[in-house]
Amino acid sequence: MIKEEVIKRINKVFEKDFEIDLKRLKPDAQIFNDLGLDSLDIVDLVVALQKEFSVTIRDDARVRNIRTLNDIYDFILLLGEERKKENIKE
Amino acid sequence: MSLKRVVITGIGAVSPLGSDSLEMSQGLEASLSAVQYMEGWDTYKGLRCLVAAPAKAKDEHLIPRQSRRSMGSMSIYSVQAAQEALNDSALPTEILKTGRVGCIIGSTMGGAKSINDVYENMASQRDLTQLTSMKFFQCMSHTAALNVSQYLGINGVVMATSAACASGLQAIGTAYDLIRLGSQDVILCGGAEELHPTVTASFDILFATSTKYNDRPQLTPRPFDANRDGLVCGEGAGIIVIESYEHAMARSAKIHAEIIGYQTCASGLHISQSSKEALASSMRGALAAAQINSKDIDYINAHATATLQGDKEEADAIREIFGDKVPVSSLKGYMGHTLGASGGLELIASLFMMRSGRIYPTKNLENVADDCQGIWHVQKPLKRPLNFILKNAFALGGINASIVLKRLSQ
Repeated sequence: MIKEEVIKRINKVFEKDFEIDLKRLKPDAQIFNDLGLDSLDIVDLVVALQKEFSVTIRDDARVRNIRTLNDIYDFILLLGEERKKENIKE
Repeated sequence: MSLKRVVITGIGAVSPLGSDSLEMSQGLEASLSAVQYMEGWDTYKGLRCLVAAPAKAKDEHLIPRQSRRSMGSMSIYSVQAAQEALNDSALPTEILKTGRVGCIIGSTMGGAKSINDVYENMASQRDLTQLTSMKFFQCMSHTAALNVSQYLGINGVVMATSAACASGLQAIGTAYDLIRLGSQDVILCGGAEELHPTVTASFDILFATSTKYNDRPQLTPRPFDANRDGLVCGEGAGIIVIESYEHAMARSAKIHAEIIGYQTCASGLHISQSSKEALASSMRGALAAAQINSKDIDYINAHATATLQGDKEEADAIREIFGDKVPVSSLKGYMGHTLGASGGLELIASLFMMRSGRIYPTKNLENVADDCQGIWHVQKPLKRPLNFILKNAFALGGINASIVLKRLSQ
């Protein structure tokens, strides 16, 4: 996946599901403090990302380390890389 | 221990006739029907009733997302109606957090659309991964009460009554009892419901819906009429603020009316059919609680949904107690049967009638059915002083509720 495409799709999730204006979606924005999400929103963010990118991340411990929007971009890109490697192995 | 007097000091309504109580009163005054053909409902195999009365709410985005995320449409209607009722009551907002203010809102069940969404996912795909954290909050039976209390910051008694179409009136009656006993000073109470094909289907399966007017929606439902053929589902929320008389007087509140009697009872006879004896018992109990006689009642706001059996039983029960001496009308022809919301919405409409001294007639009642004769049917607007009003609500399960309202001169 191209990074720009991943950013666009993730930002779309924030705009549609959490009604946050695209202008506020800076890469270094803190998800809790700057964007105003809470723990229940994170459950829904995981559901939305799973649907958008066809991934399973609910039980992935790395989700707990996410703090900023950029962390999400990087995490989804990393999942893409991991999936690519898995496919090559197979 | 002396029981406290209880008065109504605020009203709020989201109904098929409009987004607030003023629009509802204007719709009733203009004799409008909110019943319409529902596009897409014909795709449900076996659903024969294709008409309904959807609510006209304000823009839901007026409620901030983080409050709104746990709300299905029923809760959005409830919050908007509760906010209007609170504004109307002029209660100071700081009182909401004293533990002396409660919130009791009844509905048949939780949000119908959310429940359907969950089962569409769970049953067809056996897939939990698409369920959001908020679905359960929208599905719970007390979703309207919890959302209103959270939104307004109410921390007193919060509960939901659930007895199908009697839910709203039971909520008001329960709140009335809590205030009489001194457990709470003020309670926002009433009923709510949301429309969904599955809701209409539940009545359609029982042959209780109107099916012959899909091409002429505004001619149905037809309470007490010779050509009635069943109910039409509606939706909305009717919320009132009630408080002890002393509390209202201490803050010089505007008083809409006093609640002076309440009764709820069941038939114990049949799960779906109304019973004349049980309906009469409900009305007699409310009169006894109010310590007035049947001849004191100036108007009866009937439950009458236009089902063949229910209307007959209610007419029989009214005739047995009141004969043809008291005017009777049903409001289902204007707004459909708003189910759990009907007790709240129609009680509010009864307050309009009490204030104006003008009774809204039973819309679509052209020829009184033979089996509904012998009571005073109001078929055109009727002017008369309304000092005492009896409001009925009857439900599946043989459950009944009746409330007596008294006009207070201020």
